[in-house]
Amino acid sequence: MRRLIILLLALSMPFQARAFQLDIGKIKSLVTNASQLREVDEKQEVEIGSGVASNLLGAAPLMPDAHVQKYVNQVGRWVAQQSERPNLDWHFGVLESNDVNAFATPGGYVFITKGLLLNMKSEAELAGVLAHEIGHVLKKHHLKAIQKNAQVGLLADALSIATQSSKNTEALNKIAGVGTELYARGLDKEDEFEADRIGVVLAARAGYDPYGLPLVLQTLANINPQDSALALMFKTHPAPTARLEALDKTMPVNLDKYATQPQLATRFVKTLELNQEKLK
Amino acid sequence: MRIMAIIFLFLQVGAAYAVEYGYTVRSTELKDAPFSDAKTLATLPEKTKVEIISRQGAWLQVKEQQQGWVRLLSLRTGEGRATGGDSGLKSLLNLGRSGNTGVTVATGVRGLSEADLKNARPNPQELEKLRQLTIHPAEAQKFAANAKLRAQQINYLPEPSQTEKTGSSNPASFGGER
Repeated sequence: MRRLIILLLALSMPFQARAFQLDIGKIKSLVTNASQLREVDEKQEVEIGSGVASNLLGAAPLMPDAHVQKYVNQVGRWVAQQSERPNLDWHFGVLESNDVNAFATPGGYVFITKGLLLNMKSEAELAGVLAHEIGHVLKKHHLKAIQKNAQVGLLADALSIATQSSKNTEALNKIAGVGTELYARGLDKEDEFEADRIGVVLAARAGYDPYGLPLVLQTLANINPQDSALALMFKTHPAPTARLEALDKTMPVNLDKYATQPQLATRFVKTLELNQEKLK
Repeated sequence: MRIMAIIFLFLQVGAAYAVEYGYTVRSTELKDAPFSDAKTLATLPEKTKVEIISRQGAWLQVKEQQQGWVRLLSLRTGEGRATGGDSGLKSLLNLGRSGNTGVTVATGVRGLSEADLKNARPNPQELEKLRQLTIHPAEAQKFAANAKLRAQQINYLPEPSQTEKTGSSNPASFGGER
C-alpha cells in the first residue's frame, strides 16, 4: 500500500510542476498584457500626447510669430495629409528656443525649434524634418515607449476614461511626465532610422524634393558636435552621418526620380525674411 | 571689441558660403552627366575633397581634377573631417545665446536641455494657442497648389536587410563619427 502511494506521488509530481510553471507563465503574460500590450485607442493616444505637448511647451513656449507658425502648419498639414492618418488633428509649432531639435508627441503634435528652422534653406528641408516627426506619430514610437516605461496601474488609471475622477487626471499627468522624460533619453535608434525612411517618402508624396531631410542632416553634420545647442539632439539620435549612410542604402533606387521635385527655397526664405527681426 | 567679433563672424559665414566643398565617403564614380548610366570619367577614392558647383536632382556637379557629377549621398559637405568643420553657424547660435553655456537650470532660463525636459511643467495656455494654429486640410491643399506641389503615390521604403544595416546600427560608430 505504502509503495503504491509513493508511486502515485512520484507520478503526479511532474504534473504538479508543469501546472505550476503554467501558472507562472500565465501570470507573467497577464502582467505583460497590462503594462505593455494594453490597447490604447485614438482618443486616449491624443490625450496622452496633448499632456506631453503641454509639458514640452512648459519647457519652451511657442515662437511669438503667427505668420511663421501658420506657414509651418501649412507645410506640416499638407505633408500629414499624404500619410495613412490624414484624419488626426495635426498640430505644428515652432518652439522659441535656440536649441537645434524637433519633437513629436502621440496623437499628432509636432514641434520644431527656432534654432533648427534657422539652419534650413528651403521648404523641402522643412517638409522633410516635419515628415520625420510625422513618421514617429504614425508608427506610435513614443506611445509604445511610454507604455513600456509606465507602471502597470498608472497607465490603467490614466486610461480609465469611464471614471473622470481626480485620480484619473493625476495619473494622466504622471503619464505625461513619463512621456516628457522620454524626450531627454530618446527613442530606440531603429525608430529614428525608420522615421527617416518614412520622412523622405512623405516629403516626396507631398510633391517636394525628398532630399530635404538628408540636406538638413548634412548641415547638422557640419555643426561642431560640441555645440551645446545640439547636445540633446545628438544624445537622443544616431549621428547625422550614420543616418545619411542608412538613407543612402534605400533612397537612390526608390526616390531619385522624385529628386527634381520643387525645393521651394524662395517661398521659405521669403516667409522667414519677412519675420527676420522677430526670428533673430 | 564686440563689434569686431561680430564683423569677423560675418566674414567667416560669407567665406563658408562662397565656395562649398565636400568629400567622398566612399570610392565614388565621377560621371559626365547626372545619370547612373552616364559615362564614368574617373573613380574618386574615399575622402577625396571636391568643390561643389551645382545640384541637379540626386546629383551634385563637382570639380576635382576634372569636372563631373557624383551622387548627392556619396558626398558629405564640409572639409572632410568627421567631426565637422565650423560653418559659422555654431558661433552665430552661441551669439544668440548670450553666453549661455547650455546648463540652463542654474540660470533659470527656460530651454530644452535634458534637465529642462525632466523638470518641465504643463503650459495649458500655450497648448491652447497651438490648437488655434491648426490648419484645415482644404487650406493645406490650397497652399500646396499655390506652389504647384503635386501629390504622388509612392510606397514606403523597405527596411535595409540585416547585413546591410550593421555598419550604421553599431553603437560604437555613433560616438566615433560625431
